[in-house]
Amino acid sequence: MTLPTDNKILLEAQNVAKWFATQDQRLELFHDLNLKVLEGETLAIVGRSGAGKSTLLSLLAGLDQPSSGDILLQGRSLAKMDDATRAELRAKQISFIFQSFHLLPELSALDNVRLALEIQGNPSAVTEAKHWLNQVGLGQRIDHFPAQLSGGEQQRVAIARAFATRPSLLFADEPTGNLDEDTGQQIIEQLFALNKQENTTLILITHDLDLAARCQRCVSLHAGQLHETQRQAMS
Amino acid sequence: MRGFNLIVLRQLKAQLRTAEWRALLFATWIAIALATLLALLGDRLERGLLRESAAMLGADLVLSSQRPINPARIDDALQRGFQIAQVAQFPSMVSVGDEMMLVSVRAVTSPYPLRGEIRTEPPLPQDQPFSGEVWVEARILEQLSLQVGDQVTLGYSEFTITAAMLSSPDRGSGLRSFSPQLVMHQEDLEATGILAPGSRAEFRLLLAGEPQEIETLETLWQASLGDEERLFSLRADQPMTGAALGSALSYLKLTALIALLLSALTIFLSLRRFSDGQHQRCALLLSLGLNSTDLVKLYLYQLMIAWLLLSVVGTITGIALEQIILSWLKELLPEALPTPTHWRYLSGPAMGFALLILLGLPPILQLSNISVSSLFRDEIVGSDKRALLIQLTCFALLAATLLAFLGAPLAALTLLMLILVGGALFGWIAQQCLKLLAIPFAKKLLLGRLLIMRLEQQKRWHRLQAGVVILLMTLLSLVWISRSDLLADWYTQIPEDTPNYFVINIQPWQTESLQEFLDQNAIRSELYPMVRGRVSTLNGSSIHAQMNPEQLEHNTLNRELNLSWSDTPPSHNSIVAGRWWDADTSDPEISVEREMAEILGLVPGDLLGFNLGGIEIEARITSLRAVEWTSFQPNFYVIFNAAALKEMPATFITSFRLETERQALASQLVREFPSLTLIDIGQLLTQIGTWLERLGDSSALILGLTMLCGALLMLLTLHQALQQRRYESALLQTLGASAEQTQKLDLLELLLLGAVCGILAVITTELTLMLLYQHLLNLTPKLHVGMWILLPLTSSLFFVISGILMRRRLTLSQCYRLLKSS
Repeated sequence: MTLPTDNKILLEAQNVAKWFATQDQRLELFHDLNLKVLEGETLAIVGRSGAGKSTLLSLLAGLDQPSSGDILLQGRSLAKMDDATRAELRAKQISFIFQSFHLLPELSALDNVRLALEIQGNPSAVTEAKHWLNQVGLGQRIDHFPAQLSGGEQQRVAIARAFATRPSLLFADEPTGNLDEDTGQQIIEQLFALNKQENTTLILITHDLDLAARCQRCVSLHAGQLHETQRQAMS
Repeated sequence: MRGFNLIVLRQLKAQLRTAEWRALLFATWIAIALATLLALLGDRLERGLLRESAAMLGADLVLSSQRPINPARIDDALQRGFQIAQVAQFPSMVSVGDEMMLVSVRAVTSPYPLRGEIRTEPPLPQDQPFSGEVWVEARILEQLSLQVGDQVTLGYSEFTITAAMLSSPDRGSGLRSFSPQLVMHQEDLEATGILAPGSRAEFRLLLAGEPQEIETLETLWQASLGDEERLFSLRADQPMTGAALGSALSYLKLTALIALLLSALTIFLSLRRFSDGQHQRCALLLSLGLNSTDLVKLYLYQLMIAWLLLSVVGTITGIALEQIILSWLKELLPEALPTPTHWRYLSGPAMGFALLILLGLPPILQLSNISVSSLFRDEIVGSDKRALLIQLTCFALLAATLLAFLGAPLAALTLLMLILVGGALFGWIAQQCLKLLAIPFAKKLLLGRLLIMRLEQQKRWHRLQAGVVILLMTLLSLVWISRSDLLADWYTQIPEDTPNYFVINIQPWQTESLQEFLDQNAIRSELYPMVRGRVSTLNGSSIHAQMNPEQLEHNTLNRELNLSWSDTPPSHNSIVAGRWWDADTSDPEISVEREMAEILGLVPGDLLGFNLGGIEIEARITSLRAVEWTSFQPNFYVIFNAAALKEMPATFITSFRLETERQALASQLVREFPSLTLIDIGQLLTQIGTWLERLGDSSALILGLTMLCGALLMLLTLHQALQQRRYESALLQTLGASAEQTQKLDLLELLLLGAVCGILAVITTELTLMLLYQHLLNLTPKLHVGMWILLPLTSSLFFVISGILMRRRLTLSQCYRLLKSS
């Protein structure tokens, strides 16, 4: 796997710090954190529980604001964007895959995928949603509700929903955390295959070092700082 | 143990801050207050009007008749050694100068009453007024501005008021018992000239004696009762009074049933939500060494503490509500009601106990089934068969408690079914309307499609909300409108020349002079003769034997009818079949009212037999008439040709209209014809209006509480629904929707729900009113424009404002944390 060094920078964290104020002290999670993610790159962020991986994901995705520093997406500061612009960004450029799938239980597989496309304002939401469910191998189960699907199938619906909007940046937070090893493996295969097919930038948060090794690059969050990790060392 | 108690108190204190417990406490409070109110009110009214029959009857046994008591009955009673008293009760005008008032006169023999006593102010040693004296109720003194010692005129006689009656037994049956009462000695009756053969009066023979002998006589007389006779006794527990108040009480109780049901539903949902949220806590407590018995105790104690506190607060509220309602109904009730039986004060707490414990026990027992291992992995506590059985038993016990408490289980059960079916139907219709309404939004708004999906997802919640809200708003609107507008509408819509006075008890020798008086004063009216008789045969054999059960229920077969005769058809009736007789027809012929003929299957040509006070007469039906019963003209089911009835003893009846400026003629008429009974319809309507208003106020109070229960249930489920939407909003926001859009989506959904509920409630109310107008009042239905604005607006505002107040805005950073943690 080669790093796409000639690609442009898609996402950049510049001297990012995040702290939380408690009653009499300041709890600092990161300080002077810097990160560059290239277009089409796959990046794994690893770290111990409580290191702040999910908080970092929230900051990188524009869901939360850094206490200081800035995060730029395609050169535009996320901090300076208003809510509407950031919402549009999430609808059109950023997607998420969660550990707990987060499908709406009252909606069918088709409607769950269609939901994201409709928020995006896609006029052919139904066709697109069917296409993506076919892509993840659930073409025969589009009318099934989450409760009628296995964990792996639910995560595949979530993957279809994430790719359906054709995002340029995809965040996956422990995507196999709730699955058994075999199912998790299949999901990862599918995730990486689609990622390659769509040339999406993938930021993967995981505990699993083997999974992290599948990414082109891996950084470790430790003591509020990111450290580049040698892939050979991981594998 | 002290440590355990501290845990109970600490946990209870913490739970008081949760929405579930607040809703639970509020619903239980209302249920206890309502149950206390109904128990106290019911007890006092029932004991005051129904149960204290002995004092109310004034005797051990009462024979009532529409004709003077058969002397053979009196002889029979005297021979058996009973103590007897006789009463003639009739409506009449009492006057002082130009002021007059319609009262119910009781002319009594001595001794009277045989049981109980007439309480007077000033207290007097004798049981009843002496000759030349009358005792009157305070209402008469107030309305005619009289005092004890003043003179009043009754018929042709003058009387001195020697006492005001504070309470008196033997008030008579039906509406008579509510009229202001005047008691006089029967010795003076003849001189008043009021009663003559055929006059409208109720004659009663009061008897007192040994219980065994009374029972024997009752059985004996029951078997030989004449058509016009009825027996009232303690044993049969047939109250002579209070039927109307009894109905009013049943009405209030049925209204309260809805409130109790809503309270029960709120308590049930609160407890279910509460127990759902306790799984982890229970598993933790078990892991810390608490055993499952202690766990059940922990929660039961909390419920018991809450119940004890609410019992005190709820009972006090119930007593206060009872006082309010009694003050509203004061004018319509006998002067003194007995104090409530002490144990009735426990009814509210008992109802609260049944609700809290019977509904609370199943979820609490289920909590004891939680295993410690659920702390390590997600475990769903399955509902085992035992829990289901306990739950079903508790529901059945609760339903039985509710029905037994409310009395009239059949009516309560019918109403319960109507509520459930109506609520479900309203819910379904509302949900369909919501879907239709959302379509235009789906085409125009980005989140319109989401709204459609939301409506699909939340259909069960929408149905519940809409069913309850529509039912409550419809009921409240109906009570509110029927309370005042209905009667006013009816009064304003009746034609201008409709008579507003009835004159009854006109004796044959008075007809000429009365007609002269009316003509002289340009009062347009017709005098109709009236003879009382019962339908006995059809085409030669007993009519009862030829009728089916439904026909036998018809009014005309179960009482004496007022029969009339005439050479010409009444101007306000029209002949719809057959032909009117010639004036010189000598064979008995009759014209029958169309509806009576239809129901009993009578056709022109049939031979109908009547019993007129022992005289049998047969007449052939030669025509059918359409009668407008609400025309305020004297109307008759059966009219004979003159030759058939004119020899029978009869009284006459008439009605006429007096414009406001000519009302003084009414006083003049009473002065000139003191023995006539003049009924002022306006006054009667005012009385009915007061009844409706007071009853409306009372039921509106209970419905107001019901609305509170409903609102509480709405808020509880709304709170739950918004919690669910919070997760959904978080997901939508991470998928690209903005916080404003998700807020708009929530509020739009609530606005539409409110508007649909309001509009459907208006439509249901208008339809119900339309039926009432057309079928009961014979009026042209009208739209209540104010309601069309008020109900949808109130309902929408309720939902939207509740949504705004209860919905917490979700920031983006919260969104991700929420999704991570769920």
